[in-house]
Amino acid sequence: MSRLSPMRLILIAVLLAAAIALPFAFDPRGYAIRILCLALLFGAMAQAWNIVAGLANQVSLGHAAFFGIGAYTSTLLLIHFGISPWLGMIAGAVLGGLAALLISLPTMRLRGHYFALATLAFGEVMRVIANSWGGLTGGPVGISVPFAPSSLAMLQFKETRPYYWLMLAALIAVTAIFVAIRKSRLGYRLRAIKENVDAAEVIGIDTTRTKIIAAVLSGGLTACLGTLYAQFQYFFDPDTVFGVGSISVRVAMIAIVGGIGTAIGPILGAFFVIPLEEFANQIFSAQAAGLSQLVFGVLLVVVILVEPRGFVAMGQRLARRFRREDRS
Amino acid sequence: MTEALLQVSCISKRFGGLKALSDVSLTVNAGEIVGLIGPNGAGKTTLFSTLVGLHKPDSGTITLDGRELVGLKPHKIAAAGMIKTFQNVALFLDSSVLDNVLTGGLLRHSVEDARDLARRCLERVGISAISDKLARDLSFPERARVEVARALCTQPRVLLLDEAMAALNHVEMDEFMRLLRQLREEGLTLIVVEHHMRAIMSLCERLVVLNFGQLIATGTPAQVSHDPAVVQAYLGRSAA
Repeated sequence: MSRLSPMRLILIAVLLAAAIALPFAFDPRGYAIRILCLALLFGAMAQAWNIVAGLANQVSLGHAAFFGIGAYTSTLLLIHFGISPWLGMIAGAVLGGLAALLISLPTMRLRGHYFALATLAFGEVMRVIANSWGGLTGGPVGISVPFAPSSLAMLQFKETRPYYWLMLAALIAVTAIFVAIRKSRLGYRLRAIKENVDAAEVIGIDTTRTKIIAAVLSGGLTACLGTLYAQFQYFFDPDTVFGVGSISVRVAMIAIVGGIGTAIGPILGAFFVIPLEEFANQIFSAQAAGLSQLVFGVLLVVVILVEPRGFVAMGQRLARRFRREDRS
Repeated sequence: MTEALLQVSCISKRFGGLKALSDVSLTVNAGEIVGLIGPNGAGKTTLFSTLVGLHKPDSGTITLDGRELVGLKPHKIAAAGMIKTFQNVALFLDSSVLDNVLTGGLLRHSVEDARDLARRCLERVGISAISDKLARDLSFPERARVEVARALCTQPRVLLLDEAMAALNHVEMDEFMRLLRQLREEGLTLIVVEHHMRAIMSLCERLVVLNFGQLIATGTPAQVSHDPAVVQAYLGRSAA
């Protein structure tokens, strides 16, 4: 990775300023700004997922497990002990990391589809547990975050804008962590594992340990984002935070559509998938049950068929074509 | 016995019904270049894979500088100082040549130091010019040399080369042999699998011959090439 050029730095600064100012363009109590918040949050989740899936090619379909653990941990601590969600977030991250460690041990040697299926099952197990352990989680009825006056300390706001900035900060933080990992020893090791496990071992990479470290980081970060989600939505149930479709597959799809393994991919993916999904819901949900999901699904399939490596690769291809035309 | 660096005793390895290695014993001294030869399927690659921990032997011991290696994972054996290259070349294809070599350096160094070391390794192997290319875009002989550079970047004590000279032309091969001799001068111990007899005869002071998983001869190139068992293994019964 080369250093950031001045041009790129300026571009990033301008984008950042625009992103911070963006909520002023929207109705602060409106629907659109909530969609933006979710897009930022899901972008951050896809970025956390990208650490394991993008760098090491261990495509997890069970990230809902960590997300739900984060949401439930901070919310339960808040309900029962009045503990600030910030501390709850740390506790959730520890538990999420621990869960990632536990799931890593038996799935370590699995690759490709087998790894994806094993992690999918793990997420589902967590959902079933949360649904049936009503005494702890409230069961299928769901759980509400107790109301508190607006404050950063209790991570609760009457307005939507502070959530927007919070989610923006989360996306930037997770992206910075992803970029730092990619440039570090861990990043090189993960890439080596992705490209050739045997060769990686033979030249001295502890592949088991490396995969576990990445999984724990990814799981812990995802749990932190679960806390943010809980504070933002005020109410959730096992099917939303531990759901395959609502979380696990959606997060994977966002990163894949955007460009797996790249820093910008999950962000592009989130700002494509989340609004598109809402859009499809609005237009088609009145027509027939399931039509909106169908339209949404078809659009995604088209994107994957056109360029399986996502928007980033699509952009690179276009850029190359333009450059060639310039020369000729 | 003088300073045996690598001691292999009675290694056996079975894959299902096939006995890939049976009771192979071998001693390699520090600073030696040993040639490992034998017909196709003799067990040379299996022996290498077993030495670096990719296969666990069914029986026998392997010690490096007195330390038992059997049961250790490959990365531990790499850290102990023994590395092999792969016969069919196992690079990180979507990474640049420099990043491939750099990854080897991470065994003992930070990313920055590994990058410097990687540049030096590329220069030694004579492929600095292609350091920014993707491994995927290289020719086979180039790939083989990148793999050697990557192995060197781990700063090994014993380097196992599995046909690293295959597909090199004569000029490149002479250059490569000069490099290996130079590395030996610097204290590296080498075991070389090679089909190219001219190369191996001039490079190695000692040859070890495997056939059907058994060690059938060991000695100087001259001794080995006149050994009836070796002649028979290579040319068949009637020629013996």
